[in-house]
Amino acid sequence: MAAASSSAAFFGTSEENQNQMIKQQQSSTTPPSSSTAPQTKKKRNQPGTPNPDVEVIALSPKSLMATNRFICEVCNKGFQREQNLQLHRRGHNLPWKLKQKTTKEVKKKVYLCPEPTCVHHEPARALGDLTGIKKHYSRKHGEKKWKCEKCSKRYAVQSDWKAHSKTCGTREYRCDCGTLFSRRDSFITHRAFCDALAQETARHPTNDLTAMGSHHLFGGNHHQMSLGLSQLQAHNQPSSNMLRLGSGGAAKFEHLIGSPSNPSSLHNMPGSMFFMADAANQGFHQDHQSPHGNGPYMNKALHGLLQLPYLQGNTNNSGANSTNLFNLGFFPNNGGSSSMSAGESGGSSAVNLLNSGFLSGNQFNMGDQVGSGLSSLYSTTTSMQHESISPNMSATALLQKAAQMGSTTSNHTSSLLRGLGSSSSSGMKPERQVLAANFGGNFGGGGSSRGGGGGGGETLRSQMENDDNNLQGLMNSLATANSSIFGAGHGQDQSNFVGGFAGSGGTQVEHHGNNNFSNVNEGNKLHQNLAGSIGGTDKLTLDFLGVGEMVRNIGGAGSQHGINIGSLNPEMKSSAQATSTQQFGSGKLV
Amino acid sequence: MFQDESSPLSSSSSPLQVFSMMSLSPNLGSPYPWLRELKSEERGLYLIHLLLTCANHVANGSLENANIALEQISQLASPDGDTMQRMAAYFTEALADRILKAWPGLHKALNSTRIALVSEEILVRKLFFEMFPFLKVAFVLTNQAVIEAMEGEKMVHIIDLNAAEPAQWVALIQALSARPEGQPHLRITGVHQRKEVLDQMAHRLTEEAEKLDLPFQFNPVVGKLENLDVEKLRVKTGEALAISSVLQLHSFLASDDEHHRKKSPLGSKNLNGVHLQRALQMNQSTLGELLEKDTVNGCSPSPDSASSSPLSSTGSVKIDGFLNALWGLSPKLMVVTEQDSNHNGSTLMERLLESLYSFAALFDCSESTAARTSLERFKVEKMLFGEEIKNIIACEGTERKERHEKLEKWIQRLNLAGFGNIPLSYYGMLHARRLLQGYNCDGYKMKEENGCVVICWQDRPLFSVSAWRCRK
Repeated sequence: MAAASSSAAFFGTSEENQNQMIKQQQSSTTPPSSSTAPQTKKKRNQPGTPNPDVEVIALSPKSLMATNRFICEVCNKGFQREQNLQLHRRGHNLPWKLKQKTTKEVKKKVYLCPEPTCVHHEPARALGDLTGIKKHYSRKHGEKKWKCEKCSKRYAVQSDWKAHSKTCGTREYRCDCGTLFSRRDSFITHRAFCDALAQETARHPTNDLTAMGSHHLFGGNHHQMSLGLSQLQAHNQPSSNMLRLGSGGAAKFEHLIGSPSNPSSLHNMPGSMFFMADAANQGFHQDHQSPHGNGPYMNKALHGLLQLPYLQGNTNNSGANSTNLFNLGFFPNNGGSSSMSAGESGGSSAVNLLNSGFLSGNQFNMGDQVGSGLSSLYSTTTSMQHESISPNMSATALLQKAAQMGSTTSNHTSSLLRGLGSSSSSGMKPERQVLAANFGGNFGGGGSSRGGGGGGGETLRSQMENDDNNLQGLMNSLATANSSIFGAGHGQDQSNFVGGFAGSGGTQVEHHGNNNFSNVNEGNKLHQNLAGSIGGTDKLTLDFLGVGEMVRNIGGAGSQHGINIGSLNPEMKSSAQATSTQQFGSGKLV
Repeated sequence: MFQDESSPLSSSSSPLQVFSMMSLSPNLGSPYPWLRELKSEERGLYLIHLLLTCANHVANGSLENANIALEQISQLASPDGDTMQRMAAYFTEALADRILKAWPGLHKALNSTRIALVSEEILVRKLFFEMFPFLKVAFVLTNQAVIEAMEGEKMVHIIDLNAAEPAQWVALIQALSARPEGQPHLRITGVHQRKEVLDQMAHRLTEEAEKLDLPFQFNPVVGKLENLDVEKLRVKTGEALAISSVLQLHSFLASDDEHHRKKSPLGSKNLNGVHLQRALQMNQSTLGELLEKDTVNGCSPSPDSASSSPLSSTGSVKIDGFLNALWGLSPKLMVVTEQDSNHNGSTLMERLLESLYSFAALFDCSESTAARTSLERFKVEKMLFGEEIKNIIACEGTERKERHEKLEKWIQRLNLAGFGNIPLSYYGMLHARRLLQGYNCDGYKMKEENGCVVICWQDRPLFSVSAWRCRK
C-alpha cells in the first residue's frame, strides 16, 4: 500500500479522471511493447518493491510521446483521451462505451521509463504519473527542441522552456556577502548557510579582521589569536606563494600549488619577507606587488604585522640592540608591510638597516632575529630554537617537534632539548661538523653552525613528510634550516655562521643593486641566486624551478642523508642508524 | 628496527615513540614544583614525553611506572591550560581508565553514579557543529550532492542516520522549493535515539516546509542506529532515495573479535609489548640483538595485517550487514562523512600515537576558535573530544565504538559493498571552500581526493566526505 498512498498524494485531482480512463484502455489492450512482468524482472525483493496491487505499465517511446494516441479507425482522427475517442465514435455510429464510475477499488498504475538505462526503467522506481513520465522521458532522454533566445539554454519540454523564458535575464541574485547567482536555487542553498553563519557571527563578536572583504558573513568563528604563533603558523602555507614570487614562472606553478584562489593572496607577505630577510630587497616587493597584492587581504597582513611586537618583545634578548633589531628582524619579516606600502620610506630604511646590520657588529643578533621570524612564520614544524618566541606553541607543532626529536635522536638528546636547560657538550662537535658539512651542501650557511645537525635532520624530515605539498615542505625546510642556523648563535660557532649568512646576504644585496629586479626574469634570477646562497647547490635550485623533480631529489637527498647521519656519526649506535634510515626511507612520518 | 619499515605502526609513529624513549633528564624524578616553572613549549614537549612513557607502561602492564608517570602528568596537565595541557588531561584520564579496567569492580564502582546525560551530549554535539566548520562543510557538500542527484525527481526521500541537526535540512528544503523544475514532494526520515530530538526536528522542518509550501513529511525513527529496522525507514516505490550518514558508520566496525586475542584489558601487552620493549632497550642493545628479536617477533601474527584489510574476516561483520541493508534500499545517493583518522589500530600504542596527532589538531582548532575560559569550549573538549579519546584508548572489543578510519578504507569498504563513488561536484566544493574561507582562519583546509573531500586542520586530515550510488 505504500506505493498506493504515495501516488495518491502525488496525482493531482485533475488527473484522476485521465488516469481512470487510461486504466480502462490499458485493461482492454495489452501494453503496446516490451510488456513487463515486474515480479520476474526484478532480481531481488527490495524494500522498494512495488505494491502487488499496483499495475506497472511500460509504454514504448513512441506511444509514450504520441500526442493523440487514440485514433479513430474510420477517419484516422487522433485524440488525446480515450473518452473523447469514444464520443467521436458515436458520430460514426460505431459501438462506443463511456467508462462508468465504478465503486470498485481502482488499481493504481505506475509507469516505467522506456529507456533501459534509466533508473525509472526499474519497476521499483516507476513513476506514478503519466504526464510525469512523459516529461521525464523528454527531459532526460529526449531532444532539447526548445531554445531560449536570450541565453541559448535548451529545453526538451515546452513548458520548462516557457517558464525559463519568462524569467531569463530578469533575475540576478546577490547575497549580502557579495556572491552573485543566476539561479535562485543556488542562491538559496548559499543563503541558508550564509544566514546560519551570520547568526553565529552575531553571537561571537568578530574583530576588525573579519570585517574585511566579503567574508564577514561566513566568518562565524574567527577569534583572534592574540598571541599568535598558531595564527602565524596558519600562514605557513605562503611558502608556496613564496615560490611563486621567486620563481618568476608563476603560472607554471599555479596548478601544482593548488588552490591559488585561497585567501592567501596575502601570502606575498611572508613570501616577500623571506626575501627581505635575506636580501632586504625592496625593489623586489614592488615588482611583485601588483599580481599578488589583493586589497582586503592587506589588512590581514598588516594585522599580523601588528601582532608581532608582542611576540617579538620576548625575544629581543640583546638590550640595546633591540630596537634596531626590531626594525631589522621585524619589518623584513613582515614584508607585507613594505610591499603594501611599496615606496614608503619604511621599506627602504629596512633595507638600509638590514644592510648596515650586515656590515655592523650586530650580525649575530640580527641573524637570530631573522631566523626566529622565519621559523615562526613559516613552519609548523620548527621554531624550537626559539622557544621563547612561542608562548603558545600549538599541540600539532609540539608533536611534530617531538617526533623530530625522536627521529633525529642520538645519544645527545640533551642538545635537542636545549630548552630544558642543558647545553651542548663539546663532545658533539666533531659529529656536528661532519653533519653540518653534509647539510651545508644543501643548506648553505649551516656549514659550521652548531644547529646544523639537528636542523638539517628536521629539514630532511619535513621534506619527506610533506610529500603532498612538497613546495611547502621544501620551503618549510629551508626556513627550518635557517632557523636552526641562525638560532645556533649561542654557541661558539656563532661568528662562523654569521659570516656565512652575511656572505650570502652580501651577494644578494649586490645582485639587487645591479638589477633591481625590475622584471620577472630578474626575479627568477634572484631566486636562483637565493637558492644558491641558501641552498648552495644546483640541485636545490632545480627543485625550486622544476617542481616535478623535487620529490625525487628530496627523496634522494633524504635517503642519502639518512645514511650519512648514521655512518658519519661516530657516536651513534647502530640501532640509531637503522632508525634514521628507516625514517628517511619511509616517506611519511607523521 | 628493520622490521618496522614495513609495519604501519612504526612507520607512522616511530619518531614519537623514540621520543618517548629519550631521556629528558635532569627533569625526570626531580621534585615536582620544578615542573610548574616550565614554559609552555617545554612543558608541552615534556607532556608528550610523559604521555608516551606512560602509555608504554600501560601497554606493558607495568602499573607502578604508569602510576608514576600519571602523577607527573597530573602536575602539568590541565583542562583549562594551553592546548597540550588540555589534551594531556584527557589522554591521562583515558590511560588511567584503561588501567582501572583491569579491576572491573573498581572501575564499575567508581563509575557507579555516572549518568549518561543524553541531553548534554546532544548539546555538546550542537556546540561542535557551531564552533567548527567541519560539519557545516559536510552539510554543504551533502546538500549539493542531494540537489544534483535529485534533479528532476518528484518524490525525494532523505534518510538521515543521525537526525540531530535541522539546519542542514532547512537549507535543503529551501533549495528544493526553489528548483527550476518545480518543487518535489520531500520526505525526510530521521533516525535518532531520542524522541525529543526528532520531535524538535520534525517541528522545525515542517514549519519551514509550510512556509515555502513544499509538500513535506517527516518520518521519525526512534532508536539506536545499530538496532535499526530497515522496514521502519518506509522506503516507497517511485521515490528517489538519498541517505546521509554523518559520523555514524565507524561505530559499526566495533566487534568483539579482539577478545579472542586479548584477554587482559591492558590488552596489547603480548603484541605491542615486545615492540616497545625493544624500543626501550634500543640504547643498550646491539644491532644483532635487535635483529634476533625482530625475527622472533616477525613470526608472530601481526595485528596490523588484520586491521589493514577492511573486509577481512575479523571485525567487520556488522558494517557489512549494515552497508548491505542500505544497499538494499537502492539509494540514488548516499553521502558519508567520517572522521578521517586511523583510530582503529589494534594496539594501544598505535591508537595512542594516531589519536595524539588528530586530537592535537582538533585541540588546536578549538584554541584558535574559542577563548581558554570559554565554557562551551571546555564542554566540547571534555564531553566530545575527551570521551572519544577515552573510548579509543581505554576501550576494547564491542565497547570501542570510535573506530575512525581513513577515507581510503571507507572507499574500499563501500566499493565492496556494491556502492560506486560519485565525485562531488565542483560547485559543491566551491561552496564548501567559501565557507571555510569565511572562517578567516587559514588553518582550515580542504583537499579533493578522487572526487571526495578531506577537511583538514593545517595538513592534518580530520574529516572526509564522499558520495556514493548504488551499483547494480
